[in-house]
Amino acid sequence: MKPNRGWTPYLFVLPAFVVFTISILIPVVATFGLSFTRWDGSGPLKFKGFANYVRAFHDSVYVSSYWHVLIYVVATIILEVAAGLLLAGAVSARPGTTFYRVAFFIPVMLPLVVIAVLWSFVLNPDFGLLNAGLDAIGLSSWKRVWLGDPNTALLAISVISGWIFAGFYMAIFYAGFARIPKDIIESARLDGAGEWTIFRRMKVPLVRGITEIAILLCITGGVQVFDLVFVLTNGGPYNTTEVPTTYLVKTVFRDQEVGYGAALAVILTVVIALIGLLYSRLRRKTADVEF
Amino acid sequence: MRMSRLAGVVATVGAAALLLAGCSSSSGGGAGTSASPSDQVLRVAMTEPGADLEKVWQQVKSEYEAAHPGWTVQYNFQNDDIYSTVGLPSLLSGGNAPDIYFEWSGNRLQTRAADGYAASIGDQLQAKGVIDKYVDGAFGGTTVDGKTVMFPIGKDVSNVIWYNTDIFTKLGLTAPTTWAELDAVNAKLKAAGITPYAMGNKDLWPAGNWNGHLLSRIVGEQAYADALNMKSPLDSPEWVAAMDQMKKIHDSSWINDSVNSVSDNEGYTLFFTGKAAMTPIGSWLVDVRNEQSPKFNMDWFNLPAVDGGKGNQQSVLGVSTGLVVNAKSTKTDQAVDFLSTVAGDDIQKAFVKAGSSSLSKAGAATGLNPLSERLLKLIENAPEIVAPPDTGYNLKVADALNTATSAVLGGAMSSQDALTQAQQKIDALK
Repeated sequence: MKPNRGWTPYLFVLPAFVVFTISILIPVVATFGLSFTRWDGSGPLKFKGFANYVRAFHDSVYVSSYWHVLIYVVATIILEVAAGLLLAGAVSARPGTTFYRVAFFIPVMLPLVVIAVLWSFVLNPDFGLLNAGLDAIGLSSWKRVWLGDPNTALLAISVISGWIFAGFYMAIFYAGFARIPKDIIESARLDGAGEWTIFRRMKVPLVRGITEIAILLCITGGVQVFDLVFVLTNGGPYNTTEVPTTYLVKTVFRDQEVGYGAALAVILTVVIALIGLLYSRLRRKTADVEF
Repeated sequence: MRMSRLAGVVATVGAAALLLAGCSSSSGGGAGTSASPSDQVLRVAMTEPGADLEKVWQQVKSEYEAAHPGWTVQYNFQNDDIYSTVGLPSLLSGGNAPDIYFEWSGNRLQTRAADGYAASIGDQLQAKGVIDKYVDGAFGGTTVDGKTVMFPIGKDVSNVIWYNTDIFTKLGLTAPTTWAELDAVNAKLKAAGITPYAMGNKDLWPAGNWNGHLLSRIVGEQAYADALNMKSPLDSPEWVAAMDQMKKIHDSSWINDSVNSVSDNEGYTLFFTGKAAMTPIGSWLVDVRNEQSPKFNMDWFNLPAVDGGKGNQQSVLGVSTGLVVNAKSTKTDQAVDFLSTVAGDDIQKAFVKAGSSSLSKAGAATGLNPLSERLLKLIENAPEIVAPPDTGYNLKVADALNTATSAVLGGAMSSQDALTQAQQKIDALK
């Protein structure tokens, strides 16, 4: 239907545009502008050119935070996406697995901060469940200060992240498996294929597109990880679990270096955007026949 | 699912920036400059004082409004963490900036003064007889460039060593007066199967304060201040030797293994449950004990003297807190009148009865909890007050030093490596 007035469509778009402008566009533009200044949040703004960006690339804590997040992302691709894929394969192999599907998905529905606090109790080295359990089964030598040891802190966070989000990816893959026509699976079974073979040779290749999207979600979400790290270690010990977002928040809110924090935010955004673009390009180049 | 999507981080920081920027005028002036002259509202911003103290602040409001017909006092109480980070800056830049606000002495106060948010009020307070109502030294730490810019509310001792008196009595131990005696106490406790220290240093400042005080005692207050003001390196042999005291504590297993993975509150719990005999922390532990474990028996001693240390061996690690009059406010006279009301004898006595300390002569005579009273006397009579790294100095510098302390205390690095890394971080700030 053709509108009576030419500007009518714009009128319908206006509310959404206003919300977008206030909540996204202005903050993004303001952040970009602030990244060229020195500002403590209350005093006068001082234009610093690219000084904040130069400083960021010489900031050892900030640079190392990208290595930490890279390790985290690699670990979570295994502990979240791969584990989710295996869980989906397990719960889709036979009927009557509703209980397990719900159980695996429950952590996804809980607030991350709540989960982080709960796990901090489990991993508490003095009265936590894990060390107490190791004591109880005679493995006291395995006890660790899980979140206070540079060798285990990032791994512990990754495992907790996997515990939470494996259920999320399970749900995605389960939906993907459900799209595969049953007659194909039945044919394979009649030909003598076992469930593992069906999973490995048929189901996984047929949800390749979904897997790629899941990995992209895991990477971009992983680079932005904040809540878990903030509550569990706050970047410690000795900055060994510092990730870009925790360092950014400390810079802006604790150190009150809003200008520098803005520069860190801009760099992080560019990195995430580049990862997304690069991944999309790789996907297109390697795109094969999909079911 | 996680914190945000692609633009989320930028939007968050941007939103925070906008929040900080508030509705400030293009000239960057605060509300004081934009407030209508007919506005007879005196705005006061501070951290949440707690229910009992809030009643006293309401009493201040009532007295002030009775003495100044037509004027209204409007309080803005904020959570401590929010106020000290994003809260106060956003208020100062916002549309209705406070005429009076709570602040900590040291680097924070200097920053406010440099940004033009701290009025010089010494002469007015003197003219109203306020300064004479206070004990000697009460106004220490309230000046910037020789001008009094803060009205003192209290002085916090940021670190002493608290000990479990039951454990000490049982083992026949007494509060040590020298570092060597403290080492001997630690050894006896360890031999008795008791961990000497409990601490939750996840957020770095607890051990940072403790070691900051120790470092100042060893290298001297001036060298400590110079290093934290980026005027001299903190990876010199002298600093490394001083930091080795923390290494000794780790190497001797004198502190809980979990020191760097638990919060300060979890550290208090370890102390209150007898998991360790001592905890180095500030004067607020009295309030925490009263709330969490009122029957727990404890006492404190100041950091023992270090043989051969270049600093004043009776120094106290502490920080002053107080109220600052916004220099951009058009109501400076009324704000000083408000401070004069706060300094009133009846108000100061009410503060003490509500559980707060008082630096006024009337308040100090009222009587506090014995532990708190001794702490107050400690800081009042201190020959030298040392500022904690994170309140007295640049926060990035403090973070670098506190991270080095945690790395040494946790056994992750040698003193030399930790301080070298800290210095590299500091060099990057120059």
